[in-house]
Amino acid sequence: MLKYIFRRVLIFIPTLFLISLIAFVISLNAPGDPIENLVTAAQGGESGSALSDNLLRAKDSLRHQLGLDLPVFYFTITSAASPDSMYKITDKNQRESLERLVDNYGNWDQISVFFEQLKKLNIAARSLLPDSNVYKPMKKETAEGLADVVENESFALMLSHDEVVIISKFNTIRSLLNENKFLGSVKDAFNKAYTAFENMRNNASRWKNWIPQINFFGYNQYHRWMFGDGNWLTGKGSIYTAGVIRGDFGLSYATRQAVTKTIKRAVPWSMTMTLLSVMLAYLISIPVGIHAAANRGKLFDRASSVVLFMLYSLPPFFIGTLLLITFANPDMLDWFEANGVKPATGYPEGASLWEKINISGPYLVLPLVSYTYSSLAFLSRTMRVAMLEVINQDYIRTARAKGLTPFLVVYKHGLRNALLPIITVFSNIFPAAIGGSIILEYIFGIPGMGQEIIQAIHTKDYPMIIAVFTLSGFMTLIGYLFADIMYAIVDPRISYSSK
Amino acid sequence: MADEQKNTTQFSFRKYAWAQFKKNKPAYYSIYILGFFAILAIFAPIIANDKPLYIKYKGETFWPAFSFDNKYVIKDPATGKEEILQLDITEWKRLDYESVVWAPIPWSPGKADIPNSDYVKPGGDQKFIDSKGDTIYMPGRFKHLLGTNASGEDVFAGLIHGSRISLSIGFISMGIASIIGLVLGSLAGYFGDHRLRTRRARLWLTIAGIPIAWFYAFSLRSFTLKDAIADSGFMFLVQLILSIILFFAVVWLFSMIGKILSRGSFLGKEVNVPVDSYISRGIEILNSIPTLILILALAAIAKEPSIVYVMVIIGLTSWTGIARFTRAELLKIRNMDYIQAAKAMGFSEKRIIFGHALKNGLAPSLVSIAFGVASAILIESSLSFLGIGVPPDTVTWGKLLFQGKEHFQAWWLVIFPGTAIFITVTVYNLIGEGLRDALDPKLKQ
Repeated sequence: MLKYIFRRVLIFIPTLFLISLIAFVISLNAPGDPIENLVTAAQGGESGSALSDNLLRAKDSLRHQLGLDLPVFYFTITSAASPDSMYKITDKNQRESLERLVDNYGNWDQISVFFEQLKKLNIAARSLLPDSNVYKPMKKETAEGLADVVENESFALMLSHDEVVIISKFNTIRSLLNENKFLGSVKDAFNKAYTAFENMRNNASRWKNWIPQINFFGYNQYHRWMFGDGNWLTGKGSIYTAGVIRGDFGLSYATRQAVTKTIKRAVPWSMTMTLLSVMLAYLISIPVGIHAAANRGKLFDRASSVVLFMLYSLPPFFIGTLLLITFANPDMLDWFEANGVKPATGYPEGASLWEKINISGPYLVLPLVSYTYSSLAFLSRTMRVAMLEVINQDYIRTARAKGLTPFLVVYKHGLRNALLPIITVFSNIFPAAIGGSIILEYIFGIPGMGQEIIQAIHTKDYPMIIAVFTLSGFMTLIGYLFADIMYAIVDPRISYSSK
Repeated sequence: MADEQKNTTQFSFRKYAWAQFKKNKPAYYSIYILGFFAILAIFAPIIANDKPLYIKYKGETFWPAFSFDNKYVIKDPATGKEEILQLDITEWKRLDYESVVWAPIPWSPGKADIPNSDYVKPGGDQKFIDSKGDTIYMPGRFKHLLGTNASGEDVFAGLIHGSRISLSIGFISMGIASIIGLVLGSLAGYFGDHRLRTRRARLWLTIAGIPIAWFYAFSLRSFTLKDAIADSGFMFLVQLILSIILFFAVVWLFSMIGKILSRGSFLGKEVNVPVDSYISRGIEILNSIPTLILILALAAIAKEPSIVYVMVIIGLTSWTGIARFTRAELLKIRNMDYIQAAKAMGFSEKRIIFGHALKNGLAPSLVSIAFGVASAILIESSLSFLGIGVPPDTVTWGKLLFQGKEHFQAWWLVIFPGTAIFITVTVYNLIGEGLRDALDPKLKQ
């Protein structure tokens, strides 16, 4: 048994690694730049696209703080054409346009020269101050407008990769430069950039794209995320993050608070609902299932089978909404509260636990019914099947022949061996306590983990999503392990020793 | 003894199972209900459409509901004036026709009927603007039988078109899941841990081929795939399938090179590949991944939400049940006489597995597929209820239900879509149960 548990725990390691990897890959592919999101959030909704130097510096330091200036993973498979230092280009859009240029032309040396020249062109265009003597006949606004066009086009060039688009943008700038002498200060930079472009286009080496190349990186984003930025084993010397293995899931993009803090606040609600509903489900379903099995084919069995089957197929969000529009609707029956778990004003000060339960009661009835009914249906059905198998066995007949009461036969002798499905359901509690029931919490406004997940998905708060994903994966594993151990305890015939 | 022998050879399990299944009336009738739903879904554009199926208008005949172009130019024979009908914005119901055939439900999903906006209940007073521009009571033919939602969209039309989504969810996601599940399950079951032996060079080269195949299929095509995502869900599916084919082609190429190189005592040494262990561990790992959160997170990544992604993701995460069933079945089948016979005749492993063993081991996975479809429909409707992963212009059952949750008075937005989901899920569950009972040899007596 111990050996089995040990083997099970060993499997935890690759599983958790894979789960964390999936979570990490998802967050990498998330749309939008997390830095932009954070900076925008910090500025209170102001757009972060302005190019002030202060802002750029703030972004860079934030990037460093989050480790986004590191390579992504221990290794990358790229083409021989793309450099192993691509990760150093921090702007997501610029990086993508560069990668696409590599994809088009395959000659990194020329591409990097081209990009450097574009940067210079952009700087020159930005510092463009039309000389009032030169643009004389023109209005000041018109001249500044033209200068702006040059600036915008040169910036757009840095984000373009399509040859046709690039050429058309070059042409726009060129014709502007030719027509308006006051823009002359850009001309030099423009010519250099254009030569670099021609050079890149004429010296394309596309074949390099077809050769795979593996790059290795010791210290990378994944490593940092997993083990923190200090010593990976002891966690000493970490500055920004202690790593997931030490329970540090980083900052939420939405609230800028530690993710773990939010989780700690939300989990109790999810856990309470899950535990209460499972207890209720047990209380009802075990007797129902047993009774149905003991009276197989009789009216009770057939009726309960039909009802339970229907319950089983009813989507929880349908039931939840139905309950709401029936019992929490001023037009129908206004018995319960529709939203939340406590009054909007909160509990009165100094309320005892009992008072709190009393106040929250009306809020919790409908959610609990919705939470309970689906596991109830599943449990009773499996309980019935398990009991049917047990009830035909010899030892039950023996017990009956001994003259034991039917109650004793069923509940003392039969139940123990029919407990396996009960355990299976119980092991589902572990992940449910962390993940909550997303849809029911959403319908009833319960401030648990399910709500947090929905919120995180709508605000693209990936640290939060990843944390929940990893944690509920972990709890699922714990649940499996728990179930396996319980199986062996309840039913000694189950043995896990290898043959 | 001889008699018994004869009986068993004539006994066809397939016929027997079908007879058993037929005896299970709810399950048997469920197939008919399913067929009915399929017809509804296939003919949805004819059943619920705000364009007339056929019109005779100013002397000319048209088939607006079947038309591909978006503009009719009609010349009035009396005045000679030209009238242009823009198919998608014309108020069809206000025109004066010489003759007209309407669709059974003369409304389209997602198209607002402005006079009847703001939750008109079924059987309630409905307004209609006639050809003269007067507001009158809704003529019986055009009544919103199941009411409307906030913007005046017909609920019945939404229900009919929503059935297309729940039907295609079943096909696409379970199609993907079955392919993965059947292949991996039969490999694990047939070979087990000890029966797949290969030469060392071939094994090594095949393993080395995987990252390289990944490079050619996915890294190299990353921008093609990305552009396809931006284009449409369908294009993405096509490109993805191309990439996957490319992936396997490269792996196969490496394995072939390995076959050629497998000579000599070192490179040509036979080694054992524990396929079953690998696949079973993989299933275990996948089972401990919180699927719903994964689907939610992935659906949120997609820049343009599309039902196709949701289907693909559900398909990619729900094959484990099918694989487990197939594995268990093939573990039994591989020891049967006809497999030995096929081996003795020198058939290739591929032919034995996919031509003989899998064909006979398909039945149990059907159970898993039926239940899988039910849960896929549930997941999809939950997602659209939450408003995640569904484009704004698509009408689904879950989305209608959500509108009902937002507006308690509109009970018809809850009851009808909810019942539709319930019936579909029940039908699949009944079929699944029927199949399980029919295929379970334990119930044979």
